[in-house]
Amino acid sequence: MPINNARFVNAAWTRGCDGFTLDLEDSVPQSQKEYARTLVRDAIHTAAQGGGEVQVRINQAYIEADVTSAVWPGLSGLNMGHTLTVEQVHLMDEWVTRMEREHGMRPGTIDIDVSPDSVYATVALEELVDASPRITSFGSVGGYDYALSLGVEMFTGVDAFFYPRGLGSLIARAHAKEFPLSAQVPDTSGSVSDAEHAFRQAQATRKLGGRRGGGLHPNVVEPMNRGLTPTADEIAEAERILDFWAHLEAEQEADGQLGETIVDQYEAARARELLDWAAACADMDARKDRMVARARAQQAGN
Amino acid sequence: MLPVSTLVRRSVLVASITDEEALAGCWRHNADAIALELPISMRDTRAAVAQAITTARRGGAEVFVRLDKSRAFAQMNASVSPELAGVLLPHAESAAEVQSIEAMLAEREREEGIPEGQLEILPVIGTARGIWNVRQIVNASVRVRCTAIDEVSLCRSLGIVASDDFDPFSFSRGRVIVETLAAIKLPLGIGHPLGARPREVAEDELIRIADRARNSGFKGALCVAPSWVEPCNRAFTPTDEQVSYYRDVRTAFAEGVKRGTAAVPFPGGRMIDVPVDERAKLVIDWWERCRQRDAEKAAALSAQWQMH
Repeated sequence: MPINNARFVNAAWTRGCDGFTLDLEDSVPQSQKEYARTLVRDAIHTAAQGGGEVQVRINQAYIEADVTSAVWPGLSGLNMGHTLTVEQVHLMDEWVTRMEREHGMRPGTIDIDVSPDSVYATVALEELVDASPRITSFGSVGGYDYALSLGVEMFTGVDAFFYPRGLGSLIARAHAKEFPLSAQVPDTSGSVSDAEHAFRQAQATRKLGGRRGGGLHPNVVEPMNRGLTPTADEIAEAERILDFWAHLEAEQEADGQLGETIVDQYEAARARELLDWAAACADMDARKDRMVARARAQQAGN
Repeated sequence: MLPVSTLVRRSVLVASITDEEALAGCWRHNADAIALELPISMRDTRAAVAQAITTARRGGAEVFVRLDKSRAFAQMNASVSPELAGVLLPHAESAAEVQSIEAMLAEREREEGIPEGQLEILPVIGTARGIWNVRQIVNASVRVRCTAIDEVSLCRSLGIVASDDFDPFSFSRGRVIVETLAAIKLPLGIGHPLGARPREVAEDELIRIADRARNSGFKGALCVAPSWVEPCNRAFTPTDEQVSYYRDVRTAFAEGVKRGTAAVPFPGGRMIDVPVDERAKLVIDWWERCRQRDAEKAAALSAQWQMH
């Protein structure tokens, strides 16, 4: 959300998001950039009341000024749109390190998300991936920025981002980084508040192994969370598979048939991973509930 | 504005010099460019090639000759003239190949008194090696301003039997598109299914396929038949509706910025910000360049009719 939009920022913590991106970049007009920087510290505090992680998206043209204004306790990471060179990442890292020290933060607290959001970034990705130990993940591929650099329309149902997603995913995994896998679910409306599309997108993304989603409107938060969280039926099935696998192991069998599923060590690992993910989702939901309740109580006390 | 290639090359019609009927009429189809296939033997063909180039240019098209790597030297000797726009280099696989052609072109330019660097090299990528090396190919020379993908050849290279039911080249096409655009050059291709199985199809079907190619990132296509030209010209040109939409985008965004926001709600539940406004500038600019190119070709055609 644009950091200079008080209405969005002040309500963000009530929306149930696992994370927030406070934007200093493209949603903030040039004339408001300086003012927007003065708002970051309070905005981090405000958004963090909801229990989600807080990230700030900075401008690659103003690395020093943006990082200086953004690195405060409560921030989990920085995202730099239009990242093109290793030198930009080095400069960002240098300023993050300096600001962590100045603000008494544990060194290495702040992650850097590099966004391969254009054809130029895709061709630079192999160099960018190891430009800083703070890079643990890439930002997503496939928004308006990428469409701009390809010269394509966004909402035609054509998957123009197949190659950059595929290449980004391979490079990230080869360097032990995360890549936000995102399924391509045709969207011909472009509506940022389409809850049904958000749910289908999230469901498809989870089937691909993706764990993250994003959006620009509060309407999509709940369906995105729901689609990325394992269902009760899936959890029950995973538990059944693990019980059966325990039985197979006791019998010293390498595999066995459970209904229509062949259960072996890989299927068992997949079930275990699903349960781990379900537990992580439940932990996050509990944390958000706790933090929101606390914030509401504080508000009532004031 | 984002740096992009300013070339307008929506349709590159391939015509054989040895097909007299096709050659005689190739200039009438309104192609932005024409690629002439040369005869296998280049003995005593210089005058014929020069005449073919003159004929092909009558409608205002840029004219290229399609090289055969093993005969490139003889073919360039026979075809380089001030009227030629450049050469197509099929099965391009490495920077070294491009640079070898560049050296020969430079020499021919000197001999013919053509300004240095005028003649273009258009690599056509049609092998696995070419796809893998596309970055070095597009960046091998400033003469490379455009690339094309040849999916028929790619099928041979990868041992694929082409079928309309299955698209094996999403990744390959994406690689050519991304690398070419990142080098501020122009990628050409028609995409699935006509890329691997080129043939004549109904006009509306061709427009639909070319439109999808445009929405994958291609800016034009090699046209295997004259019937492809107009549909490609149409599909790779922004429509009046798109231009009108993007003019509205520009107005709404400018008003939003005046109000202090660069994230502006737009009808239909959309949200527009900087990249959407940038896209609007590019689409309007691209539309104007297409109109200008069409006017140039119309003027050339008109001059032909007046002459006759």
